Amino acid sequence: MRSAITRRSFLKIVGGMGAGFALGSFSSMGCAKAKVAKSFSPNAFVQINPTNGLVSLTVTKSEMGQGVRTACAMLIAEELDADWNSIKVVQAPGDGKVYGSQETGGSSSIRTMHLQLRQMGATARHMLIAAAAKQWEVDPLECTTESGIVHHRDSDKKATYGELASLAATMPLPVPSQLFLKSKSKFKILGKRTHRVDNPDVVNGSAVYGIDVQVNDMVYAALARPHPNGSKIEVLSETEARSIPGVIDVVKVAYGFAVIASNTWAAFKGRDALKLARVGGPLDDLSTAKILDALKAQLSAHLEMPPNAKKIEATYEFPYLAHLCMEPLNAVANVLADRCEVWSGTQNPDSVQTAVAKQLHMPVSAVTVHAPLLGGGFGRRGGDYIAKAVDISKTIQRPVKLMWTREDDILDDAFRPMGFHSLRGAVDTTGVPVAWSHQAIEAGGRHKNEEGNPIAYYGIKDVHMRRSSADIAIPVGSWRSTEFSTLIAATECFFDEMAHAAGKDPYEYRIAHVKLPRLKTVLETAVQKAGWGTALPNGSGRGIACFSGYGTFIAHIVELSVNGGNIKIDRVVCAVDCGMVVNPSGVEALMQGACCDGLSTALVNEVTIAKGLPVQTNFDTQKWMTMRTMPKVDVTIIDSNEEPGGMGESGYPSVSPAVANAVFAVTGKRVRKFPIRLQDLASQ
Amino acid sequence: MAAHEIAVNGVSRKIEAEPEMPLLWVLRDLLHLTGPKFGCGIGMCGACTVLIDGTDQRSCQVPISTVGSKKVVTIEGLSNDNSHPLQRAWIEHDVPQCGYCQAGQIMSAAALLARVPNPTDAEINEAFQAHICRCGTYQRIREAIRIAAGAKP
Repeated sequence: MRSAITRRSFLKIVGGMGAGFALGSFSSMGCAKAKVAKSFSPNAFVQINPTNGLVSLTVTKSEMGQGVRTACAMLIAEELDADWNSIKVVQAPGDGKVYGSQETGGSSSIRTMHLQLRQMGATARHMLIAAAAKQWEVDPLECTTESGIVHHRDSDKKATYGELASLAATMPLPVPSQLFLKSKSKFKILGKRTHRVDNPDVVNGSAVYGIDVQVNDMVYAALARPHPNGSKIEVLSETEARSIPGVIDVVKVAYGFAVIASNTWAAFKGRDALKLARVGGPLDDLSTAKILDALKAQLSAHLEMPPNAKKIEATYEFPYLAHLCMEPLNAVANVLADRCEVWSGTQNPDSVQTAVAKQLHMPVSAVTVHAPLLGGGFGRRGGDYIAKAVDISKTIQRPVKLMWTREDDILDDAFRPMGFHSLRGAVDTTGVPVAWSHQAIEAGGRHKNEEGNPIAYYGIKDVHMRRSSADIAIPVGSWRSTEFSTLIAATECFFDEMAHAAGKDPYEYRIAHVKLPRLKTVLETAVQKAGWGTALPNGSGRGIACFSGYGTFIAHIVELSVNGGNIKIDRVVCAVDCGMVVNPSGVEALMQGACCDGLSTALVNEVTIAKGLPVQTNFDTQKWMTMRTMPKVDVTIIDSNEEPGGMGESGYPSVSPAVANAVFAVTGKRVRKFPIRLQDLASQ
Repeated sequence: MAAHEIAVNGVSRKIEAEPEMPLLWVLRDLLHLTGPKFGCGIGMCGACTVLIDGTDQRSCQVPISTVGSKKVVTIEGLSNDNSHPLQRAWIEHDVPQCGYCQAGQIMSAAALLARVPNPTDAEINEAFQAHICRCGTYQRIREAIRIAAGAKP
């Protein structure tokens, strides 16, 4: 891995006015491992204002709660030796030509950008030192930096970065051999618990999410759309809608009928007052039971199990899951004759820019995509909703904020696919797992009877995975940890069943067979912290599960009790090795947060389908963990010098199987269906 | 449309709105106080929570006509400078993740601490039973309330 920058890097003066010092790069420096690598275009990560000394660090990825604005800025600031308490974080607009891929997902931001961001900081620092050395006529090697100041020891001369910015802008870019990144022992920012840069604005209400954007002359809109897919609507009467004070207009648009109003509430009321005629579609008879049948119909022959071995088989059902971002979908768009501006929380600001340009037949440069905060993303916020706002603004020739109610948000969701998994395995006479066959079928996914990458960290000799999808037209999409959300639950539940068949302790069995040393370490750490094997009261038990993915290794131990028909989670212990830790507070927060997702979807959350529509369309029926039900989550972070792994996705997959395995420890019954209900176990 | 005069964050504000328009939309769309957030519209998530005469209420469930002379405090009115003990604790303890629900969480915490200066776990559970945090920040919310209350987290 190279840690030096390339010669193609360049320096530019911001705004062409010679007013500042900004660094950018044409290269994809340090992104050799980037899955999302497009070539980088000129971009600016560091900007120092010579007038007021302000150090601005640009973050190109979207903040949706994962702490990326803080983490990316920390990486730059560390090598820049900036004063962390006085930097400003600037959010980049969507622009792939300038910033490269801004796709924020797959736990990719830190994994793919950490070296590049550090090099940006180091490059700036190098040039600031060069400027100081030139000004003082001293050897740059005699200069040091700390908290935004260059210091020359022998002469005791000091200058702030702001004072040096103009001169630094004229310094040549360092060649790769001149650039050194700090060793871990020299870190002052990285690896230290650091407050989120957005906290001060969040706690006084000034933080701007997409839904908070207000622009001049803006109106509000709500859409009447046909649900489920394939049905149609026509407006029979709009008189009632138009009579609602605040309603301005009702217009037919590409995606349905938009009620335009002077405020959100009138738009919602007007939309609900439209008298519609509905023509049914092919999904009208669809139900969860029918989808399950369709999934089961995709099963085919399993791998043959070896003779003379103990054979185990199991199936697991997983529901659709809605994203339930706390901020319902929304977008502000202002389409003008020759350009367009949009404001909306999206995980893909750059591809939204190109998509909107295509939608409007405009050059990409005519589209400005502002990137406000996201009130949650979880894989939902691509940009389909932005296209709808653009369409309405184009139709009414005014800036518009298109709003979704919570019900709209769930009706228009692209769910985590419902899934049916069938597994067979075998342990030999000594208890060693020797064969494993996993068929993962999902509703509406893209897999068509194909070989999948098996979850193979247990080193089972004969291991096979087949993935397929039933052709169900209910929209599906990415959801936290994507395919691992079901694959790991099935795998970790089934490995527990193999351990049981082998007559072994589930932890000992994992340790005996897991092939990844870092996974072994997190298992050992979690077990130690949790007191695995120590006595618990009657009705209580522990379950264990682990996960390796996104460059991160995680083990979960769930302690729960079953009492009076209820499952109560008493405690969760987890250990995580995510390589080099950028912000320990952020890693801990994401482990706690993903655990909340894991427990919610293990126990209370699901989407079922009746007449082609989701049954649970608001928080009265979309249950989630609450202050009362959420247990303490004890997080241990392993000290590591490995490359940073991803944290947004990785904390989720091993939670629900640890719950299911704990339920078995207490009840002696295996979970076959999520979310877990004791009555489903009783009917086994 | 009817004229209403309401006291928000210590300032008298005049607006024209339908009597049944929820306070949430008056605050957000008419007064441009966007700290209170829309999450569910049915009083189940808590993102829109504001103080009305000191009690935490779901502003999406409060028709503007019922506000009258009651004092409304939104997250914007908690302090001028992030100096409220809850704001300080939220920052120092790094509570927010996406942050969207936190205005509501903080307002319920403010009502709780005004009522019970040093709440027990059970009292915190009770006060937060209709607050959802999709990012799962509950543990840090609980700890931050304890910090703000001057207790050990």
